Amino acid sequence: MPTTPFSSRRRRTRAAATLTAAAASMALLAACGSSADSAAPSEDGKPVTVTFWGWAKGTQEVVDAFNASHKDVQVKFEAIPSGNAGGYAKISNAVKAGNAPDVFNTEYGQLPDFVSKGAVQDITKLVSSELKAKYLPQSVELTTLGGATYGLPLDAAPQVFFYRKDLFEKAGITSPPKTWDEYRADAEKLKKADPNSRIGTFFPDDPGVFEAMSWQAGARWFSGADGSWKIDIKGAETQRVADYWQKMINDDLVRVEPSFSQQWTASLQKGGTAGYIGAAWGGGVLKSTVPDTSGKWAAAAVPTWDGQPASGMLGGSTFAVSKDSKKAKAAVEFASWATTTPEGIQARIASGTSSMFPAAPALVPVAKAAFKTDFYGGQDIYSVFVDAGKSIKQGWEWGPAMGATNGAVKDSFGKLSQGGTIQTALDAGQQATVAELKNRGLKVSE
Amino acid sequence: MTSRATRSQPSRAAVGRRGRVGAPAILLAPFLVLFTACTLIPIGYAAYLSLFTEKRSGLGFGGGRTLFTGLGNYTRALTDHAFLEGFWTTAQYCLLYIPIMIGTSLLLALLLDSTLARARRFFQLALFLPHAVPGIIAALIWMYLYTPGISPVVEVLNSLGTQVDLLGHPLPAVVNIAVWEWTGYNMVIFYAALQAVPREVLEAAVVDGAGPLRTAFSVKIPLIRASISMVGMFTVIGSLQLFTEPMILHGTSPGVVTTWTPNMYAYTAAFERGDYGLAAAASVLLAVVAATLSFVVTRLTRVRSDRRAEATT
Repeated sequence: MPTTPFSSRRRRTRAAATLTAAAASMALLAACGSSADSAAPSEDGKPVTVTFWGWAKGTQEVVDAFNASHKDVQVKFEAIPSGNAGGYAKISNAVKAGNAPDVFNTEYGQLPDFVSKGAVQDITKLVSSELKAKYLPQSVELTTLGGATYGLPLDAAPQVFFYRKDLFEKAGITSPPKTWDEYRADAEKLKKADPNSRIGTFFPDDPGVFEAMSWQAGARWFSGADGSWKIDIKGAETQRVADYWQKMINDDLVRVEPSFSQQWTASLQKGGTAGYIGAAWGGGVLKSTVPDTSGKWAAAAVPTWDGQPASGMLGGSTFAVSKDSKKAKAAVEFASWATTTPEGIQARIASGTSSMFPAAPALVPVAKAAFKTDFYGGQDIYSVFVDAGKSIKQGWEWGPAMGATNGAVKDSFGKLSQGGTIQTALDAGQQATVAELKNRGLKVSE
Repeated sequence: MTSRATRSQPSRAAVGRRGRVGAPAILLAPFLVLFTACTLIPIGYAAYLSLFTEKRSGLGFGGGRTLFTGLGNYTRALTDHAFLEGFWTTAQYCLLYIPIMIGTSLLLALLLDSTLARARRFFQLALFLPHAVPGIIAALIWMYLYTPGISPVVEVLNSLGTQVDLLGHPLPAVVNIAVWEWTGYNMVIFYAALQAVPREVLEAAVVDGAGPLRTAFSVKIPLIRASISMVGMFTVIGSLQLFTEPMILHGTSPGVVTTWTPNMYAYTAAFERGDYGLAAAASVLLAVVAATLSFVVTRLTRVRSDRRAEATT
């Protein structure tokens, strides 16, 4: 659901615990062994081969490292297009056709949709409380639906503000904006210093960014309790965010360009765009998108409404086991290795440009050590991520039909440059979501 | 086959029939097998899928069941504003695209056919060349040329003082790609038809004092009317299938919404929303519209040519 052809960048893995821990949890799994008939170490001595679909940067390296260090389970990795670029469609089709991989990556936002479509297996029995305790509680919350566990979190994706130090200084701005008011003031200063310069971009193609900002403001678009969904896409908090960005767009203080588009890249290269509100994984994306601006960037906490640290989550991936897989146990073993062991995280970050923030906090030092930070002038961006990670607001839930929600919002955002408004988009999103849920037979209380 | 068989000698009928049945059967088999596997079965499956819908309950995490819904999906598609708007987009596209494309290719064909033309082969090939580029590649090339900040075209226009937002107007942008792709192709069809016009008719026109323009409008164009209406029909049906180009532009121009054409609507329903029943119903409806339209167009053109045939006798 986060969008764009490059949402792939949103995934990365972390691993925290050690193999021993994984092995321990495996033993536990074996104890409460469910239907999975091919337990991790197969009885006939042949390794269990698990098929895996994903697209995150560095995944191949993670799989190679796993295969090299495991005898009982081998992973067969197939790279697919990133979620919104067709990956999700491919997974849905494969599940429908009965030839889905055993395990696949999906973003937090898309997970409930997959679960609701019956594409994902309940792995509650395979995930020990010990394993669960290794992840950020916010990540666990997002992978627990209706009381059951449906995925293992790979990364948390706290919002982060990346900006060009040199351009900010030229405009007389000495420190990054702490509040949205300051962000706007800085936007004006930048534009005044250079009429072609903007502080950032509103991505009409990626409702995920707007959702993260609503999340940060305290909105809760979806809440499922007592067997019924409450859809509140137009609440007061969201309204505040919508009004703010609508004004930024109307006053021509931000660009309106698709995320990760050539347009966006060109504008970053020319210095016409001096900032980027992304998430932790965006650090790596930026680095590989505009390598010639190396050393000029810095990362800071995303601005907030009251100056107190707060963040939503923008993207972030999980490992989910497909409904019909008979190798759930082995799949979970791989997923927990990839997300909670230093080896798994190390392999991914060392692969190059991934700057993902492990959902297992214990592994942050591993990720930090593996990430080359020269692009940020040596700044310790992981400490920014750690603080941002702590400030992720709890309580946000993703809806069960994010495809429909995001589709409607995105289509409406598409008309922003022809006089459309964010407000219309929110109306469309609310309407489409409610219609879709009702159509699926779910209970909705607006 | 029966009628032919009865005409043959009774004594040789058995042998003859086997021979006549055998060879065509063998020759047709590969086609029929592929046609059944790749066209009939999928159509049947789509029609079948379109009658069902998935229902869940509560929060929706407890698994669902497939229910027969009759024409429910069709009702939903037909009452969905977005789906109908897709047809409206297609209609606008046709209104803009067909006259431009047919006009241009006809003009080019007439120029090539005229006595003034030089380097015919070169121009034929050069004009046809864009069609050899796969649609997806063409769309990518144009996307690049439309995108401000990287497009040399936009840059030149901007330096001339014109602020154009090529991506902000998806309809002309898509029409332009289609014109670029198809003009050369259809020009070749028209040119071939023009070559088949009997020379004596043209000579007669010249003898009667018709200039090149008069010959073109009063003799050549009426004589290739069949080709023109055929191209028109194929173009209309092709337009209903519009998908690749807008889908590519969708990535860079959010103005091309996910339900921009009926085909995109079906794609989005299936792959973004996982609503296979609705997607199947939308596809069946689209197929019905295309079939009806081609039937009507064929009928109309046949009636017209019949009438003309009567008039000349």
